[in-house]
Amino acid sequence: MEEQNIIKRLLERDEAGLHDLLRYYGPLMRYIIAPIVTDPQDQEDCLSEAAMRVWDRVDQFDPSRGSWNAWLTAVVRNTARNHRRAGQSHHSTQDLDENTPSPQPNPEELLLRQERQAAVNQALARLSPDEQALFYRKYYYLQPTAQIAAELGTTERAVEGRLYRLKKRLRKLLGGEGYAGT
Amino acid sequence: MREPDWASMDEQEFEALLEGSVTQPPPEHVVAEVTPWRLATRRILTGIGLTSITLNFFWLNYLLPAIGMTLMLLGFRALRRENRWLSLCFGLAVLRAIYLYATLILNSTIWFSMASSSPVVHGLTVLNLALTYMQLLCLWGGFRTVQQKAGLPPHAGSAVALLVWYGIIGLLAALQYNGLILPLALLISYICILRSLWKLSKQLDQAGYAVRPAPVRIEDGIVAVAITILLVVGCLLGWLLGCKYPMNWQAADPAEHSGVEEIEAQLLELGFPDYVLQDLTAEDIAACDGALRVVAETREEPMNGNDLEAPHVTSVAVKLPGEQERWMMIHHFSWAEYPGFYGTESIQIWPAYQDFEVWRPSGEATGRVLYDKNGQTYTAPYYFLGDQTFTSDSMFWGEQTSTDLFAAFSMPGTGEHHRGYLAYSIQSVGETRLISSWFNYTHQRTGLQYPVVTAMEHRMSGIWYHSGPFQLMQYSAQFLTSELNEASPTP
Repeated sequence: MEEQNIIKRLLERDEAGLHDLLRYYGPLMRYIIAPIVTDPQDQEDCLSEAAMRVWDRVDQFDPSRGSWNAWLTAVVRNTARNHRRAGQSHHSTQDLDENTPSPQPNPEELLLRQERQAAVNQALARLSPDEQALFYRKYYYLQPTAQIAAELGTTERAVEGRLYRLKKRLRKLLGGEGYAGT
Repeated sequence: MREPDWASMDEQEFEALLEGSVTQPPPEHVVAEVTPWRLATRRILTGIGLTSITLNFFWLNYLLPAIGMTLMLLGFRALRRENRWLSLCFGLAVLRAIYLYATLILNSTIWFSMASSSPVVHGLTVLNLALTYMQLLCLWGGFRTVQQKAGLPPHAGSAVALLVWYGIIGLLAALQYNGLILPLALLISYICILRSLWKLSKQLDQAGYAVRPAPVRIEDGIVAVAITILLVVGCLLGWLLGCKYPMNWQAADPAEHSGVEEIEAQLLELGFPDYVLQDLTAEDIAACDGALRVVAETREEPMNGNDLEAPHVTSVAVKLPGEQERWMMIHHFSWAEYPGFYGTESIQIWPAYQDFEVWRPSGEATGRVLYDKNGQTYTAPYYFLGDQTFTSDSMFWGEQTSTDLFAAFSMPGTGEHHRGYLAYSIQSVGETRLISSWFNYTHQRTGLQYPVVTAMEHRMSGIWYHSGPFQLMQYSAQFLTSELNEASPTP
């Protein structure tokens, strides 16, 4: 019920809804941000930014396409990645001159990226639920191995081993019979 | 268009590609699973449920708590550094697990059931109950602290409800309440509390994102396998090493009857069976000095089933000299063939003074067990010999408290001609013509039983005849004390 109330208030542009979002979903949002943005000060900035992103885009949430938690996770994760990228580019552009090529991909690169995404998604669908969860922890949530190990009740070495086998399987799926690229 | 060469891509490039390729939100099952808290809380709550419930069939009353305790141990291990309440919970879970696993292993030996009424075991049971209460209290504190840390209003009432429930159960057990209505109400409330705890764990899911599970050096799976191996190996060792009484077997001295040869000759003349006489101790032979009469009877088969593997039993009554009428009753048994297994054996005597008040016991019961190996006879005193007061619950006569003469012993798996005897004396305080003495022999047929109980405990429990690993063989000896000079066989 808490979830529906918060969504309703956000949709009604009630600022108290934003406060409740941070109060109720703050732990989840921090949990997603922490592995991506490691600096504590940046994490707080990123949390505010993510909350504002939710405020701005809440009308895009469609319950028929997935749960609120999944949507919120995606928004916060993408915000955190952008925040990190912005931080990195802010530091790196200080030394760049005007002759440095633009980091924006060209149309061919964009098309290639879309193909890669389709191939990876296709391969992912062929993994077991446990393998999928491990994959997303590592490559979507960007969780460090130590965190994954602690949360799964296993050792870092065991997680590394599982990730190694997972990548090997993915390579096979992507490069072998599983890859349907043009 | 250029295809990405996945196979030859170096590791760093491949990882970067994977990271950059996942743009869609993860599937719902992944969103639900990626949490630092849920796995641990589900394990803890499942563990509480499994350790609280008692289903007395298919050994579920042992299997479910063992599984539940392992789950609880793993759940609390993950949360042990979260706050001091949950640290305490982990410590208490370790203590409770040690107690439970030790109990499960000791249940595979004869020692635990024998010690079950001892103050130490009783004290440990009470301590374990106290640890359970403390653990629930700490769990309540731990959940509230997690909620507070996440900035959510603290509430964990269902943990308190479970604490109260345990309190009522403990009180009913202490009062030995036997009614039906209250336990039924408690069962319903227990189900409601578990449901409420499950709901609470879902409510805690959001707060749980603030939790940081502690790293582990040994994987959960390895811990679970290690516990399983420990329990299985422990129980196997218990069955192998703890299924028999430690008997003090000694090689019999060939000259042990020197000094009582005259009495032996006198007894043989009166009709005392030689094979029984050879097994008696010199003290028991000496106790028959001046015997006036000997009456003996032999039974090849027990009264309660002639299809059983059973020892041959010879009952001998020896009339002793004295002003009052005194008799020594000797029940001798002998296994003609190895019955296949020896665990614990038990002899229960319903002595002559139990049926007829004109008889009184005279002195202590005596006896010993023997076997032969490579031409040498070995003897040992009974592990237990004496009166035992016990309460049994029979479907025919209800709950009854009795005091009977018992002997408990184990035979070795080697050797041959395993045998023994039990003797007791009676004297009359009135007129009677009959001596009636019952010899109830309980034989253990197999070691496959859990929890392990001894033949004597089985007999005292009141379970009828041949159940599980035990079989009961009953022999009745009835002798006329005067006028007739021969045994009167039982119909």
